[in-house]
Amino acid sequence: MKRPPMLMRLRIREKERGFGLWLPLFLLLPLLLLLLVVLSPLIVIAIVILRRGRRLDQLSPTARASIGMLCSPRGIRAAFDVLCSTPGLHIDVRNNEERVYVSII
Amino acid sequence: MSENQKKILEMLANKKISVDEAYRLLSALKSEAPAPESAAGAQTTAKPKAKYLHVHVHGRGRKNDEHDQHDEDAQDDDDDDDDDYDDDEDDEPAEVVNIRVPMSLIRSGMKFSSLLPAEARDKVTSALGEKGINLDMRNMKPEDLEEVIAALEDLEINVIDGKEVVRVFVE
Repeated sequence: MKRPPMLMRLRIREKERGFGLWLPLFLLLPLLLLLLVVLSPLIVIAIVILRRGRRLDQLSPTARASIGMLCSPRGIRAAFDVLCSTPGLHIDVRNNEERVYVSII
Repeated sequence: MSENQKKILEMLANKKISVDEAYRLLSALKSEAPAPESAAGAQTTAKPKAKYLHVHVHGRGRKNDEHDQHDEDAQDDDDDDDDDYDDDEDDEPAEVVNIRVPMSLIRSGMKFSSLLPAEARDKVTSALGEKGINLDMRNMKPEDLEEVIAALEDLEINVIDGKEVVRVFVE
């Protein structure tokens, strides 16, 4: 069974300054879900207005795809699949002075 | 350890060849050697499923003296890192890119691409065509995606030049 990411470790260093952060995604995801639930009626209203005014066709393909993704169960499922596939992602880019390190657990 | 590997290491110890040359020779030996075994072993043992795509780039740019002190400090900071790069190497690369992507993320991302609108797919197809890649995004099916991912599992790219080592592999 797929599970969403639990933690994200972030480290950024620039010359002598830098910081490290453990982001508890398991706490942020419920908040994000709540935000999505609160915003969804507004998104639906916006789509209805755009459709009535036939303005949906005038939007860029990217905007239309984003709206389609946000509003279709298939899109939401695909986005959730991507999110659930991120644990294990590890990015470390550094040189002598700078470093960006992202690890999703 | 085979006789050839010993010879290469001896040549390296005697400074007849550089580290990069030794690495190249050892890689060439490694790629030649397992062929007969793998052909026989393929029938008896199933290949383990690849989990991650790794991209490693080690650039050996010049390392200024003024940076040396800072590098030592930086290494102290990095002691608790759980990455697989060894900070204690004497010839620390000036630039390092170390990326590990779960195969499941690639799979999900490719499935996600099926949600692209037709206009965007046309653009992607034409952009790939300009680069000489004849991949028609419009005709991509889930079976094709699985085939692409299965082919990725055998991917191994090693590029070594004087200053940089680029490795892309799946494990």
